[in-house]
Amino acid sequence: MDDPIAALLIRIAAQDRAAFRELYALSSGKLMGVLLRILTNRSESEDALQEVYTRVWLKAGRFDATKGRGMTWLIALSRNLAIDRLRQRSTDVNDDDAMAAVPDPAARAETRLIATGEARRINDCFDTLEPDRAQALRGAYLAGLSYTDLALRHGVNLNTMRTWLRRGLLSLKECMGS
Amino acid sequence: MTDPMIPPRDQDDLLAAEYVLGVLALPERLATQTRLRNDAVFAARVTAWEQRLSGLNDDCAEAPAPNLLPQIEARLFPTPVRRSRLGSLWAWGTSAAAAVAVVAYLALTPATPSLIATLAADTAPLRFEAVLTNGRLILTRTAGAPADATFAHELWLIVGDTPPISLGLIDEVRETISLPGVAPGAVLAVSQEQPGGSPDGRPNGPILVTGVLNAA
Repeated sequence: MDDPIAALLIRIAAQDRAAFRELYALSSGKLMGVLLRILTNRSESEDALQEVYTRVWLKAGRFDATKGRGMTWLIALSRNLAIDRLRQRSTDVNDDDAMAAVPDPAARAETRLIATGEARRINDCFDTLEPDRAQALRGAYLAGLSYTDLALRHGVNLNTMRTWLRRGLLSLKECMGS
Repeated sequence: MTDPMIPPRDQDDLLAAEYVLGVLALPERLATQTRLRNDAVFAARVTAWEQRLSGLNDDCAEAPAPNLLPQIEARLFPTPVRRSRLGSLWAWGTSAAAAVAVVAYLALTPATPSLIATLAADTAPLRFEAVLTNGRLILTRTAGAPADATFAHELWLIVGDTPPISLGLIDEVRETISLPGVAPGAVLAVSQEQPGGSPDGRPNGPILVTGVLNAA
């Protein structure tokens, strides 16, 4: 198997603690990056990271190597947890504070690693979208921006943003499906 | 919100995409998570979008992560719980009454597919067998000591990616808990908490044992 993370997840599903430690060493830096980008607060991200690995231990049996790579599964689990926390938090803070805490998604675009075929493919497809829509999609995925955040940031109303993003998603699907 | 330019058959797929993207507001997000647990076709759409967008994961730089393994392992693999000298003083009277009630209930209920789980861990002497039938969970302690005056055992349900839900403290050798609408794959866990249970509705103490509910 050319997916060492998947191999570890399969061992973890069989309660292998050595594999669990190895997985932490291999993946915690990446998952911390994912959590920090969305939560923007180090102590909350560290707390979330503990919860992520607790869930990984409990849920590794549900990972299906035929449906995707191990790291994709870990990142999906981490993003879901971080976005849940962010949405719950944003009911407590006003929009200005939430906006100020959100890093600019464009600022990190140049740090992109064009490594995997999957990344190349999606970036090629993003290039076919209108630039501000592509930027809104990236901002949502990477920083966990909500429709409300995106509408404020791009200076359009909520329905316009929803329409932009939905059309962007359909174009992306069509482009990637080919 | 519908867009006349988008065909209806794409609406479900778009909801899956919006969920994966993370743009939904909290109430829509929670409703979508409920659907995800109960709708396998929709769940497959979500998985497909996770794969489709996974190329964006490379855009996220790594960040230094402290070694949190000791805390994580302490939550998951606590050192064996000390056995209570008062362990034999279980509340036999009430548990016997509960057992009679359970038998009576089972006798009156037509058989439907049950979910079962064994809650155990390598390090803990504690072990429970769980049987979920017709929305009723019967949890039986088959090994280890009950909680005592210094700590409580609290039962948790973990479904999908949502935070653990407390199902209350477990004191008796056998407990019966109403638990409707739980699908295979849900996780049951028992944590050690302060007397009276977790003060904030989240597990605070170490998780002693866990098990996944699956078809019997």
